[in-house]
Amino acid sequence: MQLKRAVITGVGLITPLGGDTGSLMEGIKARKSSVRYMEEWAQYNGLGSHVAAPVELKDEKKIPRQNRRSMGRMSIFAAQASAQALADAGITPSEIPLGRIGCIIGSTMGSAKSINDAFEIMLPTKDISLIPSLLFFQCMSHTAAANVAQYLGLTGYLMAPAAACASSLQAIGIGYDLIRLGRQDVLLCGGAEELHPTVTGSFDILFATSVKYNQSPQKTPRPFDQDRDGLVCGEGSGILILEEYERAVRRNAKIYAEIIGYSTNGSGSHISQADKKSMIHCMSEALNNAQVTPEQIDYISAHATGTLQGDKEEAEAIGEIFGGHVPVSSLKGYIGHTLGASGAIELIASLQMMEEGIIYPTLNLDNISPDCEGIYHVTQPVRKEIKTILKNSFAFGGIAAALVCRKFDSSVKSNGRSE
Amino acid sequence: MTEQEIIEITYKVFEELFEIKREQLQPQAHIFNDLGLDSLDIVDLVVALQKSFGVKIRNEDRVRNIRTLQDIFEFIFAIKNEESKKSS
Repeated sequence: MQLKRAVITGVGLITPLGGDTGSLMEGIKARKSSVRYMEEWAQYNGLGSHVAAPVELKDEKKIPRQNRRSMGRMSIFAAQASAQALADAGITPSEIPLGRIGCIIGSTMGSAKSINDAFEIMLPTKDISLIPSLLFFQCMSHTAAANVAQYLGLTGYLMAPAAACASSLQAIGIGYDLIRLGRQDVLLCGGAEELHPTVTGSFDILFATSVKYNQSPQKTPRPFDQDRDGLVCGEGSGILILEEYERAVRRNAKIYAEIIGYSTNGSGSHISQADKKSMIHCMSEALNNAQVTPEQIDYISAHATGTLQGDKEEAEAIGEIFGGHVPVSSLKGYIGHTLGASGAIELIASLQMMEEGIIYPTLNLDNISPDCEGIYHVTQPVRKEIKTILKNSFAFGGIAAALVCRKFDSSVKSNGRSE
Repeated sequence: MTEQEIIEITYKVFEELFEIKREQLQPQAHIFNDLGLDSLDIVDLVVALQKSFGVKIRNEDRVRNIRTLQDIFEFIFAIKNEESKKSS
């Protein structure tokens, strides 16, 4: 069976550095951190990390109330990023045949604030009748995907991978497969996530958050740095338009890149600890699927969140496959760890780097930690022609995901594969 | 509670919960056809009316007959009267 090809023809972003792709890239270029001290979190006993990268919510009332009423914060981010991505691609869903345009948008869970609100309403009186009718739709695990589909009139596949910090990369990977199999013509793929003290708290109780920089928030997280002390939560949404290649060419669409390889796996070993072996396996399988060698990768957008264990394992895994030849950077220092949205947000930033021919550095990487050495850390902007990139995402639950994208080249007529 | 107070509180619920502009709020306005509410909104309307007026109406069959804002005023007025009779 000759598989179809999946290309990216639109992107949309809501990030702590701004509500579109341009403002994120301007912030990254200016080496700007969006991490700040969260004064209102001081009231939580036992919470050590009081830093986060929040999004400034804007224009949410432009979404009609009938659509907005079932949206928590993360769904608003997803809806805004999705509308941007469709506009960027020049696609109007109603012009696509019924059932051929869908969305796959992942997140760790439903809206954290809404879940918290539901229990705060119910528990003091144990009265379920006080819960507003729309709160459930904000709490459900597929809230972002479902709300986007209703808001934009998407009638195709509607799915929501819940794989914590690998959710959006899995969403893109699933979309890649569905487009290649010919099951969908266009898909909105990505993720969304929102900040809440309970979200940071879930990492905090596992000693995975940054706690030493509450008074100097811009210095954390510090991926791969010797003074890193944990992750910092961010929020936002990244949405990519995946489109069947022939369709995109027929309508003369701008093609950012072609997705040429993907893999995801479970470590089968530990619920929370990062596992080098499964990372290596996942990246290798993605390269095999893309039919590229490690030497052909021009840039690796690392997952690296600034945790002691996770960064070390990822650096070792990358080192084992790529040695010290392929530039590696993590974007968590700029926007924190946007969890389920991080894979999509950082992939979009990587596509921008591909377009500009510049690799932006890991922010706050001042002194490479001895346990993260052996790979090509980008600490200053690097000018380079970027043809092929690898994006990593790793998650609690022992999940790894890796995606390979190639710059679109109209002279390449086929991906040359029949699987 | 006077009828005018009931009207004011009801209007406030519609303004805050359903983001409907004051000028659209007329006693004869049909809550579905004119104000755009649907079945999900009615659940929230009941919760909001219960809270605003301190009444229990969730299991009241009369809620199903509400069509206009005037219907709400009359319903709340009736419920309030029944409650005060019960307590006196």
